[in-house]
Amino acid sequence: MSIGASLRTDPKRELWFVWYSTVAFYSLYSVVFFVLTRTQPPGRPWLTPEQTVGWFADRHWGLLVGFALIFVLGGFSATSIALITYSIRRMSVSRAYAYSYLILYAIAAIPGFLFICVAMTVGAMRPERDPTLMHWLYDFGFLSFSGTMGVFLVGSLVWMAAILLDKNGVFPRWFGYLNLCNALTEVVIAPSWIFQRGVLAWNGVIAWWIDVAVFGMYTVVFIYLLRSLIQRDDLGTGPVPALPPAAAPRAHPLAKVLAG
Amino acid sequence: MTAIEDVHTDPGVDEDGHVPGEGDMWFFVVFESLVFTSYFCVYLYYRAQHEHAFLKAQSALNLPLGIVETILLLTSSWAIARCVQEVRAARYRSAQRLAMVTAGLGVAFLGCKLAEWVRLIGEGHTFTSSEFMQHFFFLTGMHAIHLLIGFVVLGVILYQLADPRRRSHQTIETCSTYWHTVDLFWVLIFALLYIVR
Amino acid sequence: METSAKKRLLVAWVVVVAITVMYLWMDRSADDRGVLVTSVAVTVAAIGLALVKFRIIVREFMDVCHAPPALRRMTDLLVVVIVVALLSAYFVGRAVT
Repeated sequence: MSIGASLRTDPKRELWFVWYSTVAFYSLYSVVFFVLTRTQPPGRPWLTPEQTVGWFADRHWGLLVGFALIFVLGGFSATSIALITYSIRRMSVSRAYAYSYLILYAIAAIPGFLFICVAMTVGAMRPERDPTLMHWLYDFGFLSFSGTMGVFLVGSLVWMAAILLDKNGVFPRWFGYLNLCNALTEVVIAPSWIFQRGVLAWNGVIAWWIDVAVFGMYTVVFIYLLRSLIQRDDLGTGPVPALPPAAAPRAHPLAKVLAG
Repeated sequence: MTAIEDVHTDPGVDEDGHVPGEGDMWFFVVFESLVFTSYFCVYLYYRAQHEHAFLKAQSALNLPLGIVETILLLTSSWAIARCVQEVRAARYRSAQRLAMVTAGLGVAFLGCKLAEWVRLIGEGHTFTSSEFMQHFFFLTGMHAIHLLIGFVVLGVILYQLADPRRRSHQTIETCSTYWHTVDLFWVLIFALLYIVR
Repeated sequence: METSAKKRLLVAWVVVVAITVMYLWMDRSADDRGVLVTSVAVTVAAIGLALVKFRIIVREFMDVCHAPPALRRMTDLLVVVIVVALLSAYFVGRAVT
């Protein structure tokens, strides 16, 4: 069945629309940050004001076009938050968990996502600006993007708690523990407020590269698990059924391995 | 005695086949071990680049205290393993005592760690004073966070043991598996920070 | 027998504590008459012994010795991966200097 046909007849079509929007948003996000604006991997914290002017100049059109796209389409960031909130509502736990997650991530999006877009666009808009101000915008952008992880960290813990307490089997328990791993890597970014160089700076091997590797894996996993949830969901309030055999995804490799 | 307890007390029975705790918690053990290993690799790589600077800063550490801390955590692992054995034998009061001993040893470790940090900072060895100290405070700090989570996990064990209507063997074993990872990571951290030259 | 399981756990504890105390001797012997020196031998030995303790904790304290073969193999593989990763980072770091 084509996607179009299945969407017309499928009662879960709203959920599928949100899921595809989530995938589209994360793709846009990756292209904007890593390719168009080249703000990720982050610039070096130890640049002088004059060097930051050069940094902005190198990325002038990328910053303006890339972040203009984010300002227009960035609202799609709501889709992943909404879908995860839905997944928590589908669990047997109190709705307070879902609302907490929704509020935390909605708030976190402002410093953790939008501030860097604004700061870097302001910097790119007037290349002739005082280098000290450009330096300020550069620091403000990167520190707000990386250094505000604390709010995301608590959100991960809320999701983890919900998953581990859930009796509806919405997500496998190992994903609850993966939330803990993700939350702990978000602690790792906190020292970036102190260090301008080294492994714990905002571009450091530990604070950025390892962090992003873990976060990247975590994101791919939860997008896959959300898809699995939508496939299995009966749109009820009780335990989520297993997938019918024909469409069943492979069992988690660890489950099969550990059973021997 | 249930079948599970029989399996673990009768050496004649083939004991292959019991996964200690949830398989999902083993996913956490493996994943978090790999994350910590990546932090250790970064430390070792940079240490090898600046051997003398790292060596000099490392000399500020108190090795006997590190050994005491290691023995405290190893003993806590022994205690929680004994607790699981007692749970399997349905001796829940004894299991409760052993879980409390585990917590006590964890608190003693934390106390030693805090004292060590205070002493180092007092002597001018801070998070930012040298590259070695940056790694030292980062790794011991991350470990301490895992330890604090461990106290919550021990709380779950004690909560389970408190009421005969609870006492899920799987939950208790899962929690004990988590506690052991706190010890596993420390064993590596101790060798890398205190001994490696 | 319960007592043999208890005894086995105690023996495991004695072994890991003994290895820990051995570090004290290793540390003292590493210094050249009180002067700090770097040492590849001490580094490799320290890492090796740490992984021996790691495996004992996994096998004996975490009860993997009674687990399905797949979990035993997976944890052994983890030990190998950690050793290889740590030693590689160290030797690559030395080579790049």
